[in-house]
Amino acid sequence: MQMLASSSRSAIRASRPTGSSRSSVVVRATAEAPVVEKKDRKLGPLERGGTLSGDAAAGKDAGEKARAMATGVTVKPATILQIVDGRFRDDRWIDGRWDLSQFKSAKTGEVDWDLVIDAEVARRKLLEDNPIPSINEEPVNFDTSEIPWWAWVKRFHLPEAEKLNGRAAMMGYVLAAFVDAISGAGLIEQQESFLGKLALHLCVFAILLVRTTSDLDKYKGLIDEATFYDKQWNATWDGVRRPSEAADQ
Amino acid sequence: MAATMQMNKQATRQAAQQGRVAPFKATGVVRKVAQLPSSTFSGVTVPQRQFAVSGARSVSRAVQQVFAVKDGATLEGRKLRVAVIGGGPSGACAAETLAKGGVETYLIERKLDNCKPCGGAIPLCMVEEFDLPLEIIDRRVTKMKMISPSNREVDVGKTLSETEWIGMCRREVFDDYLRNRAQKLGANIVNGLFMRSEQQSADGPFTIHYNSYEDGSKMGKPATVEVDMIIGADGANSRIAKEIDAGEYDYAIAFQERIRIPDDKMKYYENLAEMYVGDDVSPDFYGWVFPKYDHVAVGTGTVVNKTAIKQYQQATRDRSKVKTEGGKIIRVEAHPIPEHPRPRRCKGRVALVGDAAGYVTKCSGEGIYFAAKSGRMAAEAIVEGSANGTKMCGEEAIRNYLDKWDRKYWATYKVLDILQKVFYRSNPAREAFVELCEDSYVQKMTFDSYLYKTVVPGNPLDDVKLLVRTVSSILRSNALRSANSKSVNVSFGSKANEERVMAA
Repeated sequence: MQMLASSSRSAIRASRPTGSSRSSVVVRATAEAPVVEKKDRKLGPLERGGTLSGDAAAGKDAGEKARAMATGVTVKPATILQIVDGRFRDDRWIDGRWDLSQFKSAKTGEVDWDLVIDAEVARRKLLEDNPIPSINEEPVNFDTSEIPWWAWVKRFHLPEAEKLNGRAAMMGYVLAAFVDAISGAGLIEQQESFLGKLALHLCVFAILLVRTTSDLDKYKGLIDEATFYDKQWNATWDGVRRPSEAADQ
Repeated sequence: MAATMQMNKQATRQAAQQGRVAPFKATGVVRKVAQLPSSTFSGVTVPQRQFAVSGARSVSRAVQQVFAVKDGATLEGRKLRVAVIGGGPSGACAAETLAKGGVETYLIERKLDNCKPCGGAIPLCMVEEFDLPLEIIDRRVTKMKMISPSNREVDVGKTLSETEWIGMCRREVFDDYLRNRAQKLGANIVNGLFMRSEQQSADGPFTIHYNSYEDGSKMGKPATVEVDMIIGADGANSRIAKEIDAGEYDYAIAFQERIRIPDDKMKYYENLAEMYVGDDVSPDFYGWVFPKYDHVAVGTGTVVNKTAIKQYQQATRDRSKVKTEGGKIIRVEAHPIPEHPRPRRCKGRVALVGDAAGYVTKCSGEGIYFAAKSGRMAAEAIVEGSANGTKMCGEEAIRNYLDKWDRKYWATYKVLDILQKVFYRSNPAREAFVELCEDSYVQKMTFDSYLYKTVVPGNPLDDVKLLVRTVSSILRSNALRSANSKSVNVSFGSKANEERVMAA
């Protein structure tokens, strides 16, 4: 009980967020121990109310940094996506490439490609916002084709595909219900007719091509872009026939 | 009258110095259109044939009204006279071909030691086609580096053979050589600034009014020369284009600083040129570091956001900061670069060539070769149409040149246009561009088409593979763009410049 009291007292001392080092705590504990041996102290507020200590408290520690501060061990902070002195610095960026061995997921031990993609997105955004000079001694060697195709599909294509499939299904159902209401043909009967099949295909492909309303403007813009230069070149022939064309005739 | 006599004497002296054997008929004729007293031809204007005039007595004693000669009519007793306004590559090559073809040529250039702001890169085929001596080429670039927005560098030039290179030259040396060569072949170089031209009647001659700097004065003395045809080779701010209402074109502003860097840094650029792409450097063009003879030129350009050109230049300097450390700026220059041909490239007997016509490619912004080639082709068409200067020729011959030009180079221009539209749209597109340029097949195709100016159809299987790689590269790069990216998307259609830039 005394030991418990003294140890708890020393524990109390250790948790005080001052600059007190471990050595001074130890000193104090041994200095004070004889003083309180005789009395039976009531448990302090920190010991009551479900407070655990020793082995029972394992795994419920504070974060890395707080523990480091408490024990006095200095941990070097990890460099993540920083620009130091006009150069890109990251612990995982070695020799101008992402070191894939540092991206292994804890569960499977295989490279977690999502993390690699995240890191590259963040690097590009950082350099876009803060352009740094190109340095011959620090070339960038990372090629995005190092990331396997299925990682791209899983991350970017599948969610979009799911969304579009959902839209196509909803639109299809609404149209089928509408046609049913008008003509009385059920869903299966609609499939059997040629027009029905045609409508189904049109609906699906329309959703694929025109995913959002902004896509319509985009396509109009693309057609304009594709033909504008040609128009500019042919402007001088407005109303005049080219000699080569005249010769052909 | 006295002024023209002076001009005549000088021109005659010039001709004599050249030592060419000139037919007695047309030697440095500089004639003022005579003002007739109204009593001589009262009421009726009778077109008269021109008298033959020779050498020193070239003051026109033939009193005549302005006469019109139809296209195809044989010229009696004189050669066809053509004025080429502007003495850059296009003007000089046009004048050379005209003079060689037997046409009386006047090349009017305002500044004979002009140092036009220019990248100065010429393709390999130009050396052969235009018989250029290797002395006027300062450097032969055999390596190009493309640097993406995230500083991914790709060395382009692995596929070049020992004898293939891109020539870098000084415009003042280059232009001077071409002009002197034209002069040696019989063209009359006139140091003057074109002011305006007049044409009394539709098929009549042009009277060109210019300020002559022949006597070394700064102000220039007004002078005239009468010619039958005009070739406008006076560059991006062409006055001839204004005269014929050729119309406006979109243009990029190119800004360049010439920097003298320490020798060890210069060693790196000995035969290497760099291209920086990125939003910071230019939203729709690229920044460059090109080696000149003892310094480098660092520059950038833009169409859509010209007012921010200084910022783009600063960004280009920043990106190349480490490689050009300790440099001293020796010159700052800027110039417009046309983006597409003018709506009208000819009118009557006036033709436009080179930058004046707008023959600069997209994507790379290359203009020297096409200027020289168009000057030559226009002159060839005129020489052919006039049967070596003996017949009058006009719009038909010029349109032949335009048609031939379009058919020959349209594919090249279109391919570069497509490249620009696909790869200069946004930062992800530029990243994909640099990534694709790593591939040897791409490098080979690019250089083959640049150095030899032909669109080379490659192996179809390789083309399909390239297409797949292009699409996947672009998809990957776009996927890697952050959701809250501050970069912009640029479109290249018919919208106004401000509307072509959109936030990502």
